[in-house]
Amino acid sequence: MDELDLRIRNHLYAQFVAKGKAPSAVDTAAALGLAGDEASAAYRRLHDAHTLVLHPGTNEVRMLNPFSAVETPHRVEAGGRSWFANCAWDALGIPAALHTDGSVRSECPDCGEPVELEVRGGELVRGRELLVHFVVPARRWWDDIAFT
Amino acid sequence: MVFLRSEEHLERWLDRSGWERGASMAATLLNELARRWWWTRLEPDWRPRTTAESQAILDEVGLRGEFWRLS
Repeated sequence: MDELDLRIRNHLYAQFVAKGKAPSAVDTAAALGLAGDEASAAYRRLHDAHTLVLHPGTNEVRMLNPFSAVETPHRVEAGGRSWFANCAWDALGIPAALHTDGSVRSECPDCGEPVELEVRGGELVRGRELLVHFVVPARRWWDDIAFT
Repeated sequence: MVFLRSEEHLERWLDRSGWERGASMAATLLNELARRWWWTRLEPDWRPRTTAESQAILDEVGLRGEFWRLS
């Protein structure tokens, strides 16, 4: 991964953390003083490298793991802000990535009841009784990351 | 990957969805995995991990065996 791609990647994460949405390639190009097609090509390379996930056939960011750019059942609050996570693992990944305490609101897919978790000082202090299930084996996670 | 309220809920959900059982773990273990996996994600000097480095994280929290092999 070259320095331009890393620069764009870091810009995307900073923007997503601050604003809760990923900038378009056009906006990223303008912010970083690049040509629009340079940013578009970088978005595609970052997608191919599994550094982010684009909506199929577009240059719009769908996942900036552990953050989700689309609404999901996994809502995370940390430091007075909130984001959606892609899955249970990513939900707990947001406080970890932010190095802060946080809470997760999700739901049990069996009964539909809400489940709540809280991370404080890195420890899970609420929701410790919950289970997590992985359907897809590790080597196939990226076959269909949206399903995984 | 989803949170479930108990093993009973997991069994019922798998029966209803038709999916085969994959792997399950306590949320406490997932939190430990999440801390190790995502801790550096927002750091400006972040670089992509190698597959071996990612595998090592899974190994460190005890996730070993065929299901957890990345390659």
